Amino acid sequence: MLSNLTRRGFAGSLVLATAISTLGQAAWAEGEKIAVITPYLSQPGTQFYVEAFQARAKELGWEVNVIDTAGDVAAVISRMEDVATQGADAIVLNVDPAQVGAGLDAAAAANIPVFGMDAGADPRIKANITSNGYAMAAETSVYVANRIGGAGNVVMFVFDAFPPVQVRGAIADAVFKNHPDITVLDRVTPDVSDGGIADSRAKMEAILQANPEPGSIKAVWAAWDQPALGALQAIEAAGRQNEGIVITGIDANPQARDAIAAGGNFEASVAQDFTGIGTTTADTVARVLKGEELKANVIYVPTKLVTAANAKE
Amino acid sequence: MAAFVKRYGSLFGMLAIVVVFWIALPDTFMTARNLLNISQQVAMLTVVAVTMTLVMVTGDFDLSVGSMASLAAVVAAVLFTRDWPLGAALAVALAAGVAGGIANGFLVAVLGILPFVATLATLTMFSGAAFVFSGGKTIFGRDIPQALSDFARAGLPLGTAGDKPLLLPALTLVALGMTALVWLLLEQTTYGRRLYAIGGNAEAARMAGVRVRLLRLSAFAVTGFGASLAGLMYMARVASANPVQGDGLMLSAIAAVFLGMTVTRDGQPHVLATVAGVLTLGVLDNGLTQLQVDSYVRQVLVGAIILAAVSSSAIGRKALRLR
Repeated sequence: MLSNLTRRGFAGSLVLATAISTLGQAAWAEGEKIAVITPYLSQPGTQFYVEAFQARAKELGWEVNVIDTAGDVAAVISRMEDVATQGADAIVLNVDPAQVGAGLDAAAAANIPVFGMDAGADPRIKANITSNGYAMAAETSVYVANRIGGAGNVVMFVFDAFPPVQVRGAIADAVFKNHPDITVLDRVTPDVSDGGIADSRAKMEAILQANPEPGSIKAVWAAWDQPALGALQAIEAAGRQNEGIVITGIDANPQARDAIAAGGNFEASVAQDFTGIGTTTADTVARVLKGEELKANVIYVPTKLVTAANAKE
Repeated sequence: MAAFVKRYGSLFGMLAIVVVFWIALPDTFMTARNLLNISQQVAMLTVVAVTMTLVMVTGDFDLSVGSMASLAAVVAAVLFTRDWPLGAALAVALAAGVAGGIANGFLVAVLGILPFVATLATLTMFSGAAFVFSGGKTIFGRDIPQALSDFARAGLPLGTAGDKPLLLPALTLVALGMTALVWLLLEQTTYGRRLYAIGGNAEAARMAGVRVRLLRLSAFAVTGFGASLAGLMYMARVASANPVQGDGLMLSAIAAVFLGMTVTRDGQPHVLATVAGVLTLGVLDNGLTQLQVDSYVRQVLVGAIILAAVSSSAIGRKALRLR
């Protein structure tokens, strides 16, 4: 009885496995095989450009395999090796190439072109398609400087551990430094393990406590939207929303757009064109597969300043 | 029959997985290059899991291995940024691993705190320390010595396949070396037999004159060493160190040891069984990726297969008892 049961279990798993493999086989019967590998699929921006990439890929008749390693960068290398073994036509990465050099070598050895979708530049990557982080940070930091008349205390929320966000902080540093009457009161790196809003709020509450005088904080510049939203919550909870503290973020996520449209302290953010990044990546892959040699290895997709005037668009 | 199923059921299951991939991927799965790739992909997990076997033999376990792996890499990387020589930085990182392991052992074996609680606390501390030392940053690029990433890409030449050389990866060699060491320690020495005695019945072992506290503590020290070594291997592989990169190793290592326990005759953790568990996880990741199975479906399948193996072994054991 028991052995029957167990045997049936094994037979079952064999059937299951065969079914999976048949499904798998069917999936790459036709068209170019493109692997999209990312450790960050659960992040909202990533989902947008992966979906846009898939949509364009469908029009082009490609078979796209999206692989998420759930935050594990070494696993990205492993999956690149697997895909190189299996023989894909192109690999699209969404991780800093400096961390996956071994995987880039494996792809190069198998003659598979690699593309970055908001990834970072590397000689072994045909092209990285992204937004211009320097330009985005310039938009919001200049907005802040102009709004406060080039004078007053500014709180910055930064995240230097992540290179694309680090460049935003570097530009804002330069803009504020270039205004002699602007003082950076604090340069905060929030804990992002909870998404970034809650800890930013706590940090901002502490800063508000330490600076109780109205006007002692003129603006909050955040390198992305979550800290800006946290700062907004802190300011509103402290009842200091009428002091004219200007808040800006970057990315213009839906929650930030709502806050900006509401016309409160959160005044501006910059929208990356995630859909455009996904579509442009697919188009760039298509160009290279057709044999074109790319000149620029970084391709920027334009961004847009979002204020109350256009937040609902 | 039940005994046969219990003894060999999971082993057949593991082989069945390999056979299925072999049939489904006739050209690319059972190739020397792919198998060597898998061995390299699981090298870090192997080191963590075989050293984790040691503490699990005494009936303890260590939740802090993942954050210790991250911490060791960060410690070495920070020392690199301060121009420490390669060997010295690596030695300090490994020493940090041993020290962390001894701390775990002290909390569990001497103070008598439950391993779950003690190592959960140290997990948080090690992880926090990794953030403190690195300032939350990913350390990469020129700060990581070229020799280290070269090492992770090097290997013993085995010949050629097609027109490309076939290498036995250096990381695989490290994992093999560590496996051999722990195997010798656990299966061939009095030390190992005493650890199994503690796992069987700590009180009886103490009566028989086994120094239970010291031995449990030493097992944690070895696990700490393994975790830091794996962290350094991880750093070499990704040519960077960040304060969370090794965190995922912990759950996989515990899963591998449990998976391994289903193939052993006595239901105890054994080093080679753990390696079988690690390889099963590695083969599943590799094969399912090549079959283009969706990564979320892959996770569900891997969990289901672990459950299937553990339950078939549990059913077998129950049947043995009823007989």
